Amino acid sequence: MPAPDAISTPSPEPPRRSPQPGLSRYRRPYLLAAAVLIVLAATNVALEPNFLTFGVAASNLSAFLPLTLAAIGQTYVVLASDIDLSNGAIVSLVNVTAVTIIDGMHGSIGLGLAAGLGVGLAAGAVNGMFVAYLRYQAIVTTFATGVAFSGLALWVLPQAGGQVPASFYTSYAGSYLFVPTVAWILIAASAFAALIARLRFYHSLRAVGGNMQAAFQTGVAVARVRLAAYVISGFFAALSGLALVGETASGDPLIGGGFTLSSITAVVLGGTALSGGVGSVLGSVLGAFILGLISNVIFFAQAPFAWQGLIQGAIILLALSGGVVIARRSGD
Amino acid sequence: MLARAKVLLARPLVVASIAILALLAVGEVLSPGFASPRQIVTQLVIAALLGVVAAGQNLVILGGREGIDLSVGSIVSLSAFLAGNLMQQNDANMPLAVVAVLACSFLIGLASGIGVTMLRIPPLVMTLGMLGVVNGALVLLTRGVPSGRAAPLLSQIVSRPVLFDLPGIVFIWIAIGGALALLLRRTTFGINIYAIGANEAAAALAGVPVPRTRALTFALSGLFSGVTGILLLGYTGNVFVGAGDQYMLPSIIAVVIGGTSLAGGNGGYTGTMAGAVFLVELQSILTTLNIPAFGRQIVFGVTLLALMLFYGRQRRLKS
Amino acid sequence: MPSLVARGIRKRYGGVVALDGAELTLERGEVHALIGSNGCGKSTLCKIITGAVGADAGELILDGRAVSFAGPADAVAAGIDMFYQELSLIPAMTVAENIYLGREPLTRLGLVDRAALRAQAAAAIAEFGEALGLGVDPDAAVSDLSADQRQIIEILKVLARQARIIIFDEATAALDRHQVGILFEHLTRLRSDGRSIIFISHRIDEVFAIADRVTVMRNGGNVMTRRIAEVTRDEVVTAMVGDTQLTRSEAHHRPRPEPALRVEGLDAGKLAGVSMTLRRGEIVGLGGLHGQGQSDFLRALYGVVPIRSGTIEIGGKAFDPKGPLAAMRQSLAYVSGERTRFGIMAIRPIFENLVLTLLVRDRHVVVARRRLEATISPIIARLALKFSSLAAPASDLSGGNQQKVVIARMLAARPTILLLDDPTKGIDLGAKADLYGIMDDLCAQDVSILLYSTDDKELLSVCDRIVVLNGGRIVAELAGDERTELALYRAAYASGTDASA
Repeated sequence: MPAPDAISTPSPEPPRRSPQPGLSRYRRPYLLAAAVLIVLAATNVALEPNFLTFGVAASNLSAFLPLTLAAIGQTYVVLASDIDLSNGAIVSLVNVTAVTIIDGMHGSIGLGLAAGLGVGLAAGAVNGMFVAYLRYQAIVTTFATGVAFSGLALWVLPQAGGQVPASFYTSYAGSYLFVPTVAWILIAASAFAALIARLRFYHSLRAVGGNMQAAFQTGVAVARVRLAAYVISGFFAALSGLALVGETASGDPLIGGGFTLSSITAVVLGGTALSGGVGSVLGSVLGAFILGLISNVIFFAQAPFAWQGLIQGAIILLALSGGVVIARRSGD
Repeated sequence: MLARAKVLLARPLVVASIAILALLAVGEVLSPGFASPRQIVTQLVIAALLGVVAAGQNLVILGGREGIDLSVGSIVSLSAFLAGNLMQQNDANMPLAVVAVLACSFLIGLASGIGVTMLRIPPLVMTLGMLGVVNGALVLLTRGVPSGRAAPLLSQIVSRPVLFDLPGIVFIWIAIGGALALLLRRTTFGINIYAIGANEAAAALAGVPVPRTRALTFALSGLFSGVTGILLLGYTGNVFVGAGDQYMLPSIIAVVIGGTSLAGGNGGYTGTMAGAVFLVELQSILTTLNIPAFGRQIVFGVTLLALMLFYGRQRRLKS
Repeated sequence: MPSLVARGIRKRYGGVVALDGAELTLERGEVHALIGSNGCGKSTLCKIITGAVGADAGELILDGRAVSFAGPADAVAAGIDMFYQELSLIPAMTVAENIYLGREPLTRLGLVDRAALRAQAAAAIAEFGEALGLGVDPDAAVSDLSADQRQIIEILKVLARQARIIIFDEATAALDRHQVGILFEHLTRLRSDGRSIIFISHRIDEVFAIADRVTVMRNGGNVMTRRIAEVTRDEVVTAMVGDTQLTRSEAHHRPRPEPALRVEGLDAGKLAGVSMTLRRGEIVGLGGLHGQGQSDFLRALYGVVPIRSGTIEIGGKAFDPKGPLAAMRQSLAYVSGERTRFGIMAIRPIFENLVLTLLVRDRHVVVARRRLEATISPIIARLALKFSSLAAPASDLSGGNQQKVVIARMLAARPTILLLDDPTKGIDLGAKADLYGIMDDLCAQDVSILLYSTDDKELLSVCDRIVVLNGGRIVAELAGDERTELALYRAAYASGTDASA
């Protein structure tokens, strides 16, 4: 290209820029969930004026907590653009493991809890090894491990049962310093999540989910990050299973059955994208609460029992669709 | 020689077939009578039911864009219920019942398809939501009490031995398999499905009607689930609630084992058929061996993970 | 001691040889240009140096010691970094997060120090100052930025890592002169710091402005390594292209006077009001710098980019392109130069890749294989398409043959207007020559062609007229003797006062 010195040629027209500074749709994905939650809460209050009393609120929180914890764990995996379909199975497995140790082996509560957490971490590690290091496809793999974990749960405790010392479930249902135990657990979980969000790991996680190839080229340890996400998911699923021990005071190998799909629903409702990289733990917490409140509303609206499932399903479908559509539109 | 063996083994259909035969052999050794004609027939019937569901799942997955249909199980249950209640053990009602149920299941699938293409809701989310709605509708309609009975003609078509002691349902499955193979390889619609799964942008530029094609795969998935519901009704005579739930995840596995990538764009139904047979046999061996439920599940999960070593892995980030 | 030596590097991807014994020696404190036409292997060589790709053979010697990288993380740890042509930014994350990904500043407790992150990013951004334009602050999401802004963020990301060896792969593609100048100031500073820079660019003038030495590659191997001061532009360009002369057709087409296509005030995508006429049997080229609306023009005509205003007439009748299918039914055809993204369905058989358009446009229900094969075989012959079997997957084909398949697919539908969007990008010279021959044949049959190309030589040798775009408008039209490289180059920088229809 024999042209005169490029530097002395007049510069080309500057390309048109797209000026959209400030608030991007990516940074507050949970806003919609928050709005929906407020509406739902208002509806709840309208239908059941006791909603805002301490007792009722605590009891609601106690019911919502297990799913909320499972949803928090699922969030990390989804942020990495993976998915955990064994979530519910891990909840069941931890639940029965803890109960069996506390009850059957006359072990201390501490041992039972520790064992439960250990099982959750190990299960998460298994998932992570397959998906991150052996590069297995996430959906089918976590389904397979889920089947295996459910089987293990059935082996540990074939029938729902077992007993937990009264001290355990009364303190779970009770309060410390005027704050319900379940609220403390939620606060602790949130603090932990907030801590994770301040680590370099969290940035790497969102990068892996946002553009895995780019993260790799930047030198991010992609496999390690994905493994860590699954381990965290297993950890929170374990917390969920342990919370259920406190909630039901016994073990049930099938208790986590619906949690997998519900945790995914909660994550999506909270504004986290299944494609990865976008979302927040806060959104999933709000999403889990939304699911819980929807059940409440349907119950208190005294919809005929036979209709409740359908109405719940329809609302969830509308919420999922609406959330995806609105999130997309605000970004275009 | 080794090189040729390697090439052959790379074909999922070959591996699945070998695996099936191996399972039969193992089963027969562990529990004589396992590979008896009667047992094989039973397995084939169950495989047929799974196989027809997997046909729809196969189409959805082929279409790419993380296509998956989690609502298949619930549509099977709903269809079986509707068919039973419309037939009420009366042959005269059968044609209308079949048409109504197929139309209904097609429309449910189409609704999912529209959600995926027009509203651009990810398939996992859309069909998950649809699963909830369909199950809710089912609870409403049944009020928890199963009802409805198959028309005698239907039971005959499905269960009466036609050839080689194989009941009609197996041949219906084979016919569906043949039709699907024709559809995928010899019609524009089939090539369009592969195209949008392989490279959606290129397909769109080449003129392929992408949204319509993808929505139709979901509609067909609903349709095949509806067919399965009717067949299930014919096989069992009556319906129990949640009869279809057991088909959902295995339908996905059968497709993957059969060589269709979850990313879409390649694979075919013959592999899926082999995958369905394999899965059913695996379950069957585990049951026959009197392994308790938990053991069956564990082995099932572990076997799947082992299989995925060949089919389920993804590209390295570093080449 | 040189800071990096690459010796005897070989790499193949399937059947294609990307590198065949390539070499590179990099001294301390130098800017070393690495150039060559598309597909010569320079990008692959750099990916091997940074550990993103593994070499099949050869050695890398860093500061006198042999090294081998398991992945980019290793290379980064060893002090090697790269600006990636395809950019390695995460769209959903902010500017600051992207610049410091993996190296976020920490507080004493080991947590990410968000305030420091923002401050450091702000400082980095300030170095480019107002050349960056509006909307770039540390908290802006990268997905909201324009192409040149994103490119600068990628540059800042690379600079922040302070590696000893930095590779810039087409880092100036979307930048204007002012921004390039600031980048070169940075490079000069790095050089005096004793760092080594590999600079890849197709803009020869930039190479001669900033580099100390230049290495030219061709067909996976080295051709020449010289000091910039001791070599001329012509020698460098000749080394790049080799001895094969492109057959210059002198564009002897005889276009008919009737317009095949007429466009008035078209406003779509980056296009800001374009009017022109395309006659039957004519090839009109779209020139100008990359990204001035040329691609959007073609895509708007094909119905892929929404039209904001303006009219289109085909054969005298008004036409509203609702989508590719509607465009095809009006005998329009579109071929994209990005064949991996928009052209080829790699895992599908060659047969399906070829007949897809025919099947859809002519509403076939059943695929009549034999009849279709008969229809496409003359086209296959004409394009000199080389393949083993129609049933083989398209990924088996070389780049040039893949692009021929995409073109064949469109030609099978017998278009009268062909929209070519940089179709010969990254294709070997033999295949290019074949394609030029086909374009000439088509013109002789009264087919009209609109050709966008980033290769000036191609535009000059193939087109009857060249229309130059800048900022979404036509700023010049070159016909007859006006078609020279100098005129083309000057017109690309014009500011749109003398637009002609």
